[in-house]
Amino acid sequence: MSLWQVPRCTVAITPKSTSSSRNTHRAISVLRPLALHTPRSRCLSTPASQTEATSTINPSEIAFFSKLSSQWWDEQGEFSFLHRMNPVRMQFIREKLLEVKRDGEYEKDGFRFDRGGQDEGDHVKVMQGLDVLDVGCGGGLLSESLARSGAHTLGIDASSSNVAIASLHASADPQLSPDTFPSSSTRPTSRAGSLTYRHAAAEDLLQEPKRYDAVCSMEVLEHVDNPAGFLETCAELVKPGGHLFLSTIARTPLSYFLTIFMAEQVLQKVTSGTHTHAKYVNPSELISFFQKYRKPSVAGESGRPWISRTYEHGLPTRTEAEVRGMVYVPWRGEWVLAPRGGSLLAPSAQCNYLFWVRKPL
Amino acid sequence: MSPCIVSVRVFLLSRQRALPNVAQRVRKLSTGAASGPHPEERDVVIVGGGPAGLALAGALASYKHVRDSLSITLVEAGDLSSVENWSLNSGSFSNRVSSITNASQAFLKAVGAWDHVENDRTSPIEEMQVWDGVSDARITFTASELGLTAANNDSGVSPQMARLTENLNLQRGLLRHLSASPGIQISDKVKVKAIESEVREGGGWPLIHLSDGRTLRARLLVGADGFNSPVRSYAGISSFGWSYDTQAIVATLSHPPRTPFEPPNTTAYQRFLPTGPIAFLPLSPTASSLVWSTRPPLAAALTKGVSGVLALMINAAFRLPNVSMEYLHKVILEAEAAGTPLTLSQIKDEISWREKSHNIDKHSAFSSMLTESNQTGMPLEHSETLPPLISSIQPGTAASFPLRFNHAESYIGEGKGSRTVLVGDAAHTIHPLAGQGLNLGLGDVECLARCISNTVLQGGDIGSHTALLPYAQERYIENHKIMSACDKLHKLYTTTFEPVVWARSVGLEVINELDSIKAALMLSAGSSPKGRSSHRPGAAGWNRAAQGIEGLAGGFKVASMLGGAAADVVGSGLRQLLKSLPQKN
Repeated sequence: MSLWQVPRCTVAITPKSTSSSRNTHRAISVLRPLALHTPRSRCLSTPASQTEATSTINPSEIAFFSKLSSQWWDEQGEFSFLHRMNPVRMQFIREKLLEVKRDGEYEKDGFRFDRGGQDEGDHVKVMQGLDVLDVGCGGGLLSESLARSGAHTLGIDASSSNVAIASLHASADPQLSPDTFPSSSTRPTSRAGSLTYRHAAAEDLLQEPKRYDAVCSMEVLEHVDNPAGFLETCAELVKPGGHLFLSTIARTPLSYFLTIFMAEQVLQKVTSGTHTHAKYVNPSELISFFQKYRKPSVAGESGRPWISRTYEHGLPTRTEAEVRGMVYVPWRGEWVLAPRGGSLLAPSAQCNYLFWVRKPL
Repeated sequence: MSPCIVSVRVFLLSRQRALPNVAQRVRKLSTGAASGPHPEERDVVIVGGGPAGLALAGALASYKHVRDSLSITLVEAGDLSSVENWSLNSGSFSNRVSSITNASQAFLKAVGAWDHVENDRTSPIEEMQVWDGVSDARITFTASELGLTAANNDSGVSPQMARLTENLNLQRGLLRHLSASPGIQISDKVKVKAIESEVREGGGWPLIHLSDGRTLRARLLVGADGFNSPVRSYAGISSFGWSYDTQAIVATLSHPPRTPFEPPNTTAYQRFLPTGPIAFLPLSPTASSLVWSTRPPLAAALTKGVSGVLALMINAAFRLPNVSMEYLHKVILEAEAAGTPLTLSQIKDEISWREKSHNIDKHSAFSSMLTESNQTGMPLEHSETLPPLISSIQPGTAASFPLRFNHAESYIGEGKGSRTVLVGDAAHTIHPLAGQGLNLGLGDVECLARCISNTVLQGGDIGSHTALLPYAQERYIENHKIMSACDKLHKLYTTTFEPVVWARSVGLEVINELDSIKAALMLSAGSSPKGRSSHRPGAAGWNRAAQGIEGLAGGFKVASMLGGAAADVVGSGLRQLLKSLPQKN
């Protein structure tokens, strides 16, 4: 059976608002002075019931990205920033998984000097065989990298055209779709991951029993309607002891300047209307969400919070959660991962950042 | 396999624009199945088994995670077994040699290939002497002066600035290293018949049709296929450049060993004559290599002429004043044109007559006539400022080839030519005066291999533009600086126009006084070894060196315009400029 499956559903979601009204709405929000009068904190309180969580998808966002979907793999076009950001996301994911793995080994075996060549091997193999879910996979930028790293990857997106583009792109690549190319049997098979795409919302997966070693959702949180519900869904899909990786944009004057004023309006590198500043989420809001969030995966038990304590600057402990800024260096044309341990108020964490949290065992 | 294609088609059919492509693709798939085998999927296809291509294969194989996860094929039209089994007697050397900088050597060691290079056939360069053929202004670089101590240089021998190696010795070493390391498929005696872009919505991958009937589908196609790179034409990358009206004569020179009172034969000599530089590169105590850039008709006359003439002329070219060299060139070419080439004794007479007219004592080091007369075992005064006298040319080693400057407009293909990347001579061809051609290629290879390794670690697609961009960014500017500097040096020194000669001799002497500039020039030759993970050394040094040469070249332009009268003013301006350089940095 093919590991790479057909998109389960090819029917596009009908947007609730038309694209023209969408654009008007965006135009207005851009004209609003800096959009900084919007709420000082975004509502991340846990909604009362599960049913509310099914409506986290914003239909006009989906319609908007569907229009851009053909451009996902134009590496010098609309999504060039995301393409260049991808290695940094992967670096963060890999290093965090490796760190947790080593911490675990240390607890079990104590410190060992004689690791020999194991470090290098670990580095390469750390994702091998993991079940990873990529929520909001878009054109599949992250999903492809996860699969190549050896993870059994499921990429889901609420836009069927995104899923179609992602599937089409992966079909050209024998590393991702081995079955379509029988002659590729000569290739080394040491890191055979797999890649599946489905047109689905994260909430749809809650009905299924499968849970994931890692759930990733990159640059999605700032596009959903009910971030608390969305986070809860993602959290629910993580196995106990598993990982949740997010990346999003902090709601600061700097992020307004860089991601909306510069990127969309002045340099026009990104289509105007891609971002809405009011929907950005601050790292402190994610941390406080996971300090309160304690829903266990086994019903009826009251689990412990994912983040049990923080240091004086509001930073969580290294073993529970981590916030790392990502900074674009224009003259090098690449993103770099900010050094760890900075304050949440450090300039590097004022715009794009990565967030990791681990589900308690 | 079929359901997915159907669903993709359904999706595409809803988009008008995609219709023709889908139709073509489907046809392609069906005919492909009927008419021939499926293309073989390869992650990396390297076209070209020269030093750059072999070094890339070796560097990729040295990363375990790369070798484990990528399928790599190298395609070469020639017979590589003849290179792998190449051998010569210990005294004789092949005529194409390269000066491997310490940086390049460190890279080859890290990869594991240097151990397979026969060390006895290589020679360190511990000193360089460079002088102006017209004004005789001279600069001397030594390795120890530059702080290149043995600590920098883990082989434990005396400090070296570079190591002179026959290209074949290096290529053979790289091949032996490859056969010792698994995972790389080498297809030699196989020509690339055609390269086409697969027809596919969203951009196809390169399909490489080979003369043995196979077709390779490449995630990444590497052009290491030399100056007339077919990969470059496939990628639609244009290149700009020009040919110098110059041929380089190469030959292996035999000469008596240095006396015990002289420094050993580890000094490289280069004299900038207006016809082009002539370089003497040490290979062993009694053999050295020649690279002499000169006018094409002269190169033809010297390489194809009577045996013995070339050796005499080489000795003269390092010693006689330029006026006499020009006179000799004229005489040789006139005789050649008249169909009566000069005989050995005629040329000997001409040289000895010219020496007399310049008051060169025939028992001094500056005489080319000295062949057997110095039997005392005592070195002559100033003999260390000149290469040893050549006694003969090793048979069959004299040859010449045209010189050109060429730089591709980009190192990575885009659009229809995407998933291609150029390294080595396919990307750039350089004047050999600084001996940098091969080193630039090795620099490319080191950087590209590192780039591929990083991308594999991050799960990226090594053929993607995003993955290759760091390579292009790091190498293009770096190579361009070195190439322009060498080009400007060539142009600067091929003139006899008085103010320019004066300006440049001031330039050289000023440079001689300024240690920082000298160090920069040295760095430029990649002499300081660095680890493979860091960037190539000498970026700052190159900037400084390039600025210095820009300064000289700038002076050249102004001096040409103003002529002799204003030379003083220009000269002092140039001196100011050169003196201000170290502070600027």
